[in-house]
Formats: sequence, structure tokens, C-alpha cells
Amino acid sequence: MTKCNISEAHIMDYVTGELDDTDVAEYRHHLRTCNYCIREVNALKHVLQLVDTAEAEITPNAIVPTDLNSKLYRRLAEEPIQKPSVQSRFTDFISRLGLILQIQKPAVVGLFAVAAIAVTLLVGNPFNNEPTFEVNQSESADARIEQYHHQGIQRSMEDVIRNKNLRHSDEWNTVSQLNRVKDQAKGTDWAVIANKHLKGVSSKL
Amino acid sequence: MVSCSILNESLANNMDKMIDDEMLVTQFKSGIQKAFDELMKRYERRIFSYLLRSVRNYEDAEELTLEVFFKAYRALGSWEPKAKFSTWLYTIASNLSIDYHRSKSRHPVFTFEDEDVIEKRLVATDISSNPEKQLEDKERGEIIRAAVDELSAKQKEVFMLTRYEGLQIKEVADTLGMAEGTVKIHLHRAIKKLQTLLQPLWENNEI
Repeated sequence: MTKCNISEAHIMDYVTGELDDTDVAEYRHHLRTCNYCIREVNALKHVLQLVDTAEAEITPNAIVPTDLNSKLYRRLAEEPIQKPSVQSRFTDFISRLGLILQIQKPAVVGLFAVAAIAVTLLVGNPFNNEPTFEVNQSESADARIEQYHHQGIQRSMEDVIRNKNLRHSDEWNTVSQLNRVKDQAKGTDWAVIANKHLKGVSSKL
Repeated sequence: MVSCSILNESLANNMDKMIDDEMLVTQFKSGIQKAFDELMKRYERRIFSYLLRSVRNYEDAEELTLEVFFKAYRALGSWEPKAKFSTWLYTIASNLSIDYHRSKSRHPVFTFEDEDVIEKRLVATDISSNPEKQLEDKERGEIIRAAVDELSAKQKEVFMLTRYEGLQIKEVADTLGMAEGTVKIHLHRAIKKLQTLLQPLWENNEI
């Protein structure tokens, strides 16, 4: 049997269903007269069929663990909270400073850097002055989940303030970000804080 | 938090397949925990099946499935969708599966009973079927699955994702961080290798 000029990749694409409709029609036409291709296609289909059957013996009937969801929440509750290290906080501060260097004029940069360092030394990180939530390790998964929720809002809030102060985000953008935080924080104290910021920014519009 | 619990309740009542994954992700980001439960319900079987095929061990597949959803839960808040949620989930599963195989190859463990454990967990099949034929089928299945396990890690991942998870070449490329052409090459090589490995069996009329 003479070997056909059709590439092996083309035959594979046909067998795995990767050809488009036009190519499929053309190749099917070719298959009517090419014994080599017929043999190749059948051999590949046979292999795939065998593997499919062998694989199907395992998974479709395998019982999926029933309580994965509760195991997940138990696992989340057991996971210790990762507080940022001194090193990561310092790196974060430097990167923020670097961002300012890229966008500000040198004189303003100098002034701002001195002020930022002074504020950091005197009152701590100015971006972390919002309320924080501490949940005891022994509390339930629900409490931990609640804590995750609050941490998420806090991160969003910090992003807004960072964008507003460091990236000269326009007021409209800040308003829209604050509105998102407000929605996210619905029913919590964070919504009040977001609203307070929102009033401040809106008054400048 | 009353408003949140009301939202959760209403979500639980109304949540059906009309809500797409991306919408659930948005809801989760806005603090609705039930949205993640729904995502998990949608994908736990698929992810578990994928991992069971990959690691061939029920307990390890369960452990890894839990790990996938744990990582997804922790990262979803800051996840920016560049691809579908399911693709992202498969990426996590695939990475964990590759790590698993790496760690196994560093610390090889004999798991003679693994196949038996899986078999024991199968739902009871037709009791009137011939036990001898069942044994033959079982042996044949084991030989074929062993051939699949002979594939390289990437070939196996690509083969499994396209063949059994129904992912398109583009989605597999996104999942594994490869070019589409590379995915196709791995797929073709996987099939070719399986053909070579399994050829002696059908030449001897064993299958």
C-alpha cells in the first residue's frame, strides 16, 4: 500500500475533530479512494476507542466525595491568617514610593517622601488606618468566612485610597470605585466609611 | 449582616444554570458566599474526575480536589478574568497534578492496592455478567491505563483535557500556558505513542 501525501497531522486533526467543516468534507471525499488513509484513520480511532473505554471504567461510576464543601470550609477555618511581614510591608512602602518617583516632579517627590516617612514613623501605615477585624483561631468557619469578607472590603478600600492619592485617579473613577466598595460592604461599617469618602470626593466634582 | 443573609437566601432560591460562572464570581467578590458553593457544586465532579484520571488514586484525587477549591477560594477575590472560570480552575488542578507527579517521582511509593481501591468504589454493575469476562476487561483496562500513564506529563495533561474534559485546543492552551500549536503537537504525540504502546496487544488479538 503506497503512503499518502496527506500529512499525519492532518489525519490526527480529522480524528480528533480539529478540522473545520470544509476540510472535513474534503478529507471524507479523499477517504473514498485512499486505502492508506482509511487504514490510518481506523487505527487511530480504534486506539482512542480503547482508551476511552478503559478510562470510562474508572471515572463515570466513581463516587465523588460527598462532603467536599464542608471539608473546604473546615480547612479554611483551620488555616492560620497570614499577616504581612515587616519585610513585605517595607517592600510595599518602597514600591509605592517608586510609583511616586515615576509620576511626580522631584521637588514634590522629596517633600512627599519626607512627609510619608514622618507619618509612617509617627502614626503607622496611613493606608491601614481603617478598622480591622480580629477573629480568634478557635472560632467557627462561618466567623472565619466573615473575616475573609471584611478583609476583602478592606483591600478594596485601600486600593481606592492608593489610586486616589498616588496615581492621580480622576474623581469620577474614584467615585465609581467607592460605589463598588459601598455595594461590596453593604450591611457593614465599611459601607459607612465608603460613604464618608464618597461624600468628600463628590463635593469636588 | 442581615442584608447579606437575605441576599444569600434569595440567591439560594434563584440560583440555577441561568446564572453564568462569571456572574457567580462577581457575586462572590461582593461577599455572597453561596456563589462559591454553587461554583463548587458545578465543578467538583469534573475536577475530581480529571484528577482521579491523572493520579489514579481515590484518596489523593479527593485531597487534590479540595486543594483546588481551597486555592480558588483564597485567590478568587483578586482574580481578574482573562479566561473562563473553568479554565482557571483546570489550570490550578493541572498545576497541582504536575506537582503531585513530581513529588511522587522523587519519593516513589508502591500503590498496588490503588486500582483495587478505585474498583471497590465503583457503583455495582450488572450482577448477571460473566465474572471471567469482567476479569479480562479489568486486566485489559489496566493495561490500557498503564499505557496512558506512560505518556509524558504534558502529553497526558493535553490528552486528558481535550479528550475527557471537553476543552477546546484554545482552552487547553490557556489552561497550560502553551501556544495552541504546542498543544496540538503534544496531543498528536500522545495519540501516536498510545498507538505504538497498544499495537502489540491487538496484533496478538488480545484486544
